[in-house]
Amino acid sequence: MEARFPGYRLLPYILILPSIAVIIVFLVVPFAMAVQQSFYRTSPFGTTTLFVGFDNYSQLFSAPEYVQSLLTTLVFAALVIGGGLALSLAIAILVTRKIRGVGFYQVAFIWTYALSPAVAGIIWALLFDPSVGLGTYLIQQLTGYRINMRVSGTPALLIAAAAAVWNMLGYNICFYIAGLQNVPKEFEEAARVDGASPWRTFWRITFPMLSPTTAFLLFTNTIYAFFQVFGLIDILTQGGPGGATEILVYKLYRDGFIRLRVNYAAAQSVLLFLMVAAMALFQLRVTTRRAEYSR
Amino acid sequence: MKRVVLIAGLLVLMVAGLAQAKTTVEFWHAMSGSRLKVLEKIVSDFNAAHPDVEVRAVFTGTYEETLTRFIAGYRTGTAPHLVQVYEVGTQTMIDSGAIIPVYQIPGMLGETWDWAQYVRPIVLYYSVDGDLWPYPFSSSTFMLYYNKDHFRQAGLDPNKPPTTWDEIEEYGEKLIQAGVVSSVLSFGWPDCIFEQELALHNYLYADNENGRADLSTKVTWPDAFSVKLFETWTRLSQKGIFLYGGPEYDANAAFTAGKISMLLQSTSSLDGILKTAQGKFEVGTSFLPRFADEPSGNSVIGGSSLWVRKGQSEAELRAVWEFLKYLSQTDVAIYWHKGTGYFPTTNAALKELMDSGWFVESPNHLTAFLQILSGRQDTAAALGARLGPFPEIRDYIRTAIEKACAGTLSPEAALAEAAAKANRALQEYRSLIK
Repeated sequence: MEARFPGYRLLPYILILPSIAVIIVFLVVPFAMAVQQSFYRTSPFGTTTLFVGFDNYSQLFSAPEYVQSLLTTLVFAALVIGGGLALSLAIAILVTRKIRGVGFYQVAFIWTYALSPAVAGIIWALLFDPSVGLGTYLIQQLTGYRINMRVSGTPALLIAAAAAVWNMLGYNICFYIAGLQNVPKEFEEAARVDGASPWRTFWRITFPMLSPTTAFLLFTNTIYAFFQVFGLIDILTQGGPGGATEILVYKLYRDGFIRLRVNYAAAQSVLLFLMVAAMALFQLRVTTRRAEYSR
Repeated sequence: MKRVVLIAGLLVLMVAGLAQAKTTVEFWHAMSGSRLKVLEKIVSDFNAAHPDVEVRAVFTGTYEETLTRFIAGYRTGTAPHLVQVYEVGTQTMIDSGAIIPVYQIPGMLGETWDWAQYVRPIVLYYSVDGDLWPYPFSSSTFMLYYNKDHFRQAGLDPNKPPTTWDEIEEYGEKLIQAGVVSSVLSFGWPDCIFEQELALHNYLYADNENGRADLSTKVTWPDAFSVKLFETWTRLSQKGIFLYGGPEYDANAAFTAGKISMLLQSTSSLDGILKTAQGKFEVGTSFLPRFADEPSGNSVIGGSSLWVRKGQSEAELRAVWEFLKYLSQTDVAIYWHKGTGYFPTTNAALKELMDSGWFVESPNHLTAFLQILSGRQDTAAALGARLGPFPEIRDYIRTAIEKACAGTLSPEAALAEAAAKANRALQEYRSLIK
């Protein structure tokens, strides 16, 4: 530090103070309070507070629906991240080809990101309304199977995942289009001259060259699948039917704000924090090591 | 020039001072859709008639969200003066220590008030030891809505709606066979229909007289009756007659679009449904379906009521009280009832509605009244439960209905799973309040 700011020992610290203050006030203090809250039980209006030790945590681990919620979250995240990224990359490759009206296609695929998750939720809820939904009707005409996402868990989870993928598609495609434009054309041309199939060219050249983009998207999509889909779930399914779409962050909300079990929700938020932090660290380590930066 | 500026400045200050003298009453509510417009009209009429008071009605989301916000607001000192809380939040509010029971307000302001002027079943539901705690404003109950045109198409008598669950099944099969609809029946607020059915047959929901004698320690289900009820719903669901339509008002769209023929829903949806169905089909209403071989109870008061927050200045309390008195005015109570389907809360309003021929003109507005006035009012079971963690327990019951109808769990297992969670919630609540 001294080398960069000769004679000003304290200046760098003063300069980063505002950021540190924001982090402390908005992240560290609330988190510390959540940890503290998780050891108590409070009446709804906060009139009585009892110290209960690890009771909230032991209840969590003995509750089958928490394990269920964890599994639901993993399945949901796998669908949203895996399915979403694969689909976005495929579409991005198609819309970066030299075809007529490519600008139109690009915009057509990107605009979904302009919708808030809440609006996306309303659209998909209408599409798959059990009695008046167009999607429900089409599926019944095509397959004879009448889906009711208000009763059947698996269709509800699939519809929620599809809606989440659809809503995030524009964002992912944007980044992949940018990434694809950075892949030097010479490599692909060289491969083609050497007689490599398009499939092989993609897996050996394009995909590895895109790994920084994929690493970044993997990270943002994880955050998306774990947290940001909240609004979508809230409008589409409210965690139902029978808890089939109750992902961790939504369960936390229902326990804390609808069922008024603030302390139980605090314990969940602490666990959720630890999980996501561990995952983020793991992803950063693995992906930064393996991503090939072309600098 | 300078002087002009000075005078203008003083005038601005004076006007600001006058505006300051106005007492503001913050009022949080959960009225959306067609109910919102009716409420906003009442509030603006009140404000126009009371230049010294400004009631600011703020829509704060669903009932669940409104209660949560009120609690958060109370804990941070930003709670409104008046809040609308749904009926399941009643015990939570009573135990909160955050409110003034309305029966005490006239005394605090040196006035007297006749609390017996309100419709009896509503008073009974919201009273503690005979005294009214919240102000009874948006009270409703549940009833059967049916599509008379569908009945005609299926060769059924449109003036003979089903009375029992057996008839629901029988009619449902006919409606499907005739090709009128592919599903027949849906519920609004499925968790609430469960409460209604228990009370309708005079069965308790929880111990300690439904939580009215003392805080409940456990729920009474699963018992033979509740299992029978769940089995009936599951069977109807498997036959395609019952279409589970989601929480709250989600199922209304299916009914008004003519996709189903019958709907069990709150009376507060009546005007919304009548307006949407107008010109499309004829709406009939009747009592909730029951089991022929079970005892009689009553439908339960639902909807919501208004609670006055503790810790207001006398001027604010007086303004709140003026507003509550305004809501009791016969013309206002009638306007509210006609515009929404909620019960008119005072006996005077009821008499005027009768005298003016309203119930002849719109018999659907009378159905819920006859249902609740003809049922028994002398048992805790028929009055309905009052539980501290009721919002939470409802959530568990709704999940149980979803699991039973989807076949994920047997009716009894689904009820048992919900009961275990409900009992834990009741125990925790007791440990905090006692």
